[in-house]
Amino acid sequence: MIILETRSLKYTYPDGTVAIQDLNIEIMKGKKIAFVGQNGSGKSTLFMLLNGTLKPGQGEVLFHGVPFKYDSKSLRDIRKSVGIVFQNSDDQIFAPTVYQDVAFGPANLGYSKERVDACVQQALEYVGLSHLKDKPPHHLSGGQKKRVAIAGIMAMEPEVIILDEPLSNLDPVGADEIVDLLNEFNHFGNTIIISTHDVDLAYRWSDYVFLLSNSKIIGQGTPTEVFKDPELLKKAGLRQPTTLEIYREIERRGLAYGRNSPKTIPELVNTLKPLDLMWVDVPPRVKEGDSLNIGVMYGEYATQSPYEAVNATVLHIHPNGRAIVELKRKGIKAGGILIYDTNNYSLPEIKQILKDGEIAFVGAMGKKSKILAEQDGVGLDVSSGVVDKSILMALCGKRCLILTAGGMVDHAFKRIKEYVEKSGIEFTVGVVNREEGCMWLKETGDNSETLKI
Amino acid sequence: MTNILDDYALMSPLRHRNNWLKLAIVLFGLLAGISSTSPVTPLFIAFCMGFTTVALGRAPLKLYLKLLLAPLGFAVTGVLIIALFSGSGQELLSFKLMGYSVLLRKDGLELALLVLSRSLSGMCCLYFLVLTTPMIELFAVLKATRLPESFIELSMLIYRYIFVFLGMAISIRYAQTVRLGYSSFSRSLRSLGMLGSTLFIRSWEQGDKLFLAMNSRCYDGKMTLFEVHRPVRVPELLLTSAYFLLTLALLYLTKNASIV
Repeated sequence: MIILETRSLKYTYPDGTVAIQDLNIEIMKGKKIAFVGQNGSGKSTLFMLLNGTLKPGQGEVLFHGVPFKYDSKSLRDIRKSVGIVFQNSDDQIFAPTVYQDVAFGPANLGYSKERVDACVQQALEYVGLSHLKDKPPHHLSGGQKKRVAIAGIMAMEPEVIILDEPLSNLDPVGADEIVDLLNEFNHFGNTIIISTHDVDLAYRWSDYVFLLSNSKIIGQGTPTEVFKDPELLKKAGLRQPTTLEIYREIERRGLAYGRNSPKTIPELVNTLKPLDLMWVDVPPRVKEGDSLNIGVMYGEYATQSPYEAVNATVLHIHPNGRAIVELKRKGIKAGGILIYDTNNYSLPEIKQILKDGEIAFVGAMGKKSKILAEQDGVGLDVSSGVVDKSILMALCGKRCLILTAGGMVDHAFKRIKEYVEKSGIEFTVGVVNREEGCMWLKETGDNSETLKI
Repeated sequence: MTNILDDYALMSPLRHRNNWLKLAIVLFGLLAGISSTSPVTPLFIAFCMGFTTVALGRAPLKLYLKLLLAPLGFAVTGVLIIALFSGSGQELLSFKLMGYSVLLRKDGLELALLVLSRSLSGMCCLYFLVLTTPMIELFAVLKATRLPESFIELSMLIYRYIFVFLGMAISIRYAQTVRLGYSSFSRSLRSLGMLGSTLFIRSWEQGDKLFLAMNSRCYDGKMTLFEVHRPVRVPELLLTSAYFLLTLALLYLTKNASIV
């Protein structure tokens, strides 16, 4: 379903600078969209056109198939539905306290005092800043200000949220937190549009990418399609994403499979070709063509899981008694990932899981879970890029626990299941304390199991 | 993070108490201090207020004393002059200073002490307010005083942007300093001028952006102020009444007393 659409949109600034030329785009509902382009390619102007702040010179913008009207009532409806988060949070936050700034939007929508309060509490809890609600904005860090700005928009419950360079000027952990937030928001069915010139972010995060250059769309498609075309990227003044570049180089050297373009580090690792042939010492009676049980291998010789039962076919026996064998592997044990829903949190239960489940690696996603873990002294091994790192640890045979809440549980579970399905490497993954169970668990049936504690 | 007095007020635990109670305490202290005819009551008020600010309000003692020192300097000079050059009655002390004879009389001394204690009590009362009530709490008070809405809205926006522009000014100044903008007097003047003009232009731009930001969140010409409801608790009420009563009693008892 198309939620936002532009038809031959054109915008020229009063001084004659053409910012947008003949722009036709369709934005699907519930997707994560990235507009990628150099500085000055027209991203910010486009965003202001998309929420009715600017009126196009020619063409039109459609929301749910209905063209924008520019009278004050229609504009109000559009701005309620299409929220915009500015690049510089100081431009956006103007009230003397966090609470009042977040309450500004809902209050303007004419909600009752109680409803405004409920909206604000929910939005602040969502971004993990409830404890700072009485602070003035100048006492907040850059990441906190960004989250206040996002909360201010979320409190209006928009269908589409547009963020102009959401990760600029944030430290890596702060940036990961914002990405987590956006993913969770998207998980509830909201459409998210960001602009960025960070190709790595656009490549790994988005569902659909628009390449903007000199006020025109010069390419669009899924990130895999868009970023594999070096010519197009050059035209847009961008470079290839790092993961893709590394993958291309190792593929060229014959060290990786030519599969789909990997987006994350676990996917990249998974494209690496395992050893097919190796030198082994063979007993004297073995002939070429014989099958040889090498036993269980581990460490760097086990390519798919930490322990593998390996059978080998002898191809050639060297006079010195060593032979070249071709390996046939069967993984026997990989690690597992448990997801713990902190909405039903109990510390004794976590301690029990950590002890009995031989958990070697604990991560938390979402502000709420991180705060909980910190309060109760649950040592976190990782708090950013949690899913990727847990997959990598599980591949090394470790058991991981991810603490997270709400929609993030499903999101993490889906990501890990996708990885299991795509890579064919089995490791156990499950949600520990969900009463209603997890929908993917039922769908995929027998090829996954919940780790029993 | 603690650059200005407002920052101390923001961190004070007394920030989360009822604003009207705090205002009442301050107003009472000011009035009682001024209407007292002996220095005892004002000193008592000053002590109580100082104690509350430092012990309950957690203002750093060092900072508090430093803050008191500045206006006290003025007060003491004034008081010395009053003590030495006014009054009649019994002579307490006389000495020669550069050929002039200076007399310290009983009346003069009493008046001087009264003035000193009154100004001290006034300062302590105001510092109590300043160090426990940040500006953001006072907007609700302003609203209750029926000031025009636009005045309050403006003051809220101004408050927020003071810090934005302060940050801007500091970074501009830093950028100028690292390029030797303040290496001589004339250069300093020029740099300061540039800083001022840049700030002016920036604030102009910021105004545009502000309007944009407010508009994109459905601004309709009214900014609602959300007041946090903070009921007066019983212990607070008891303590305040005890303080009021004690002060009034002191005021009555020391009506005609003289300490000299």
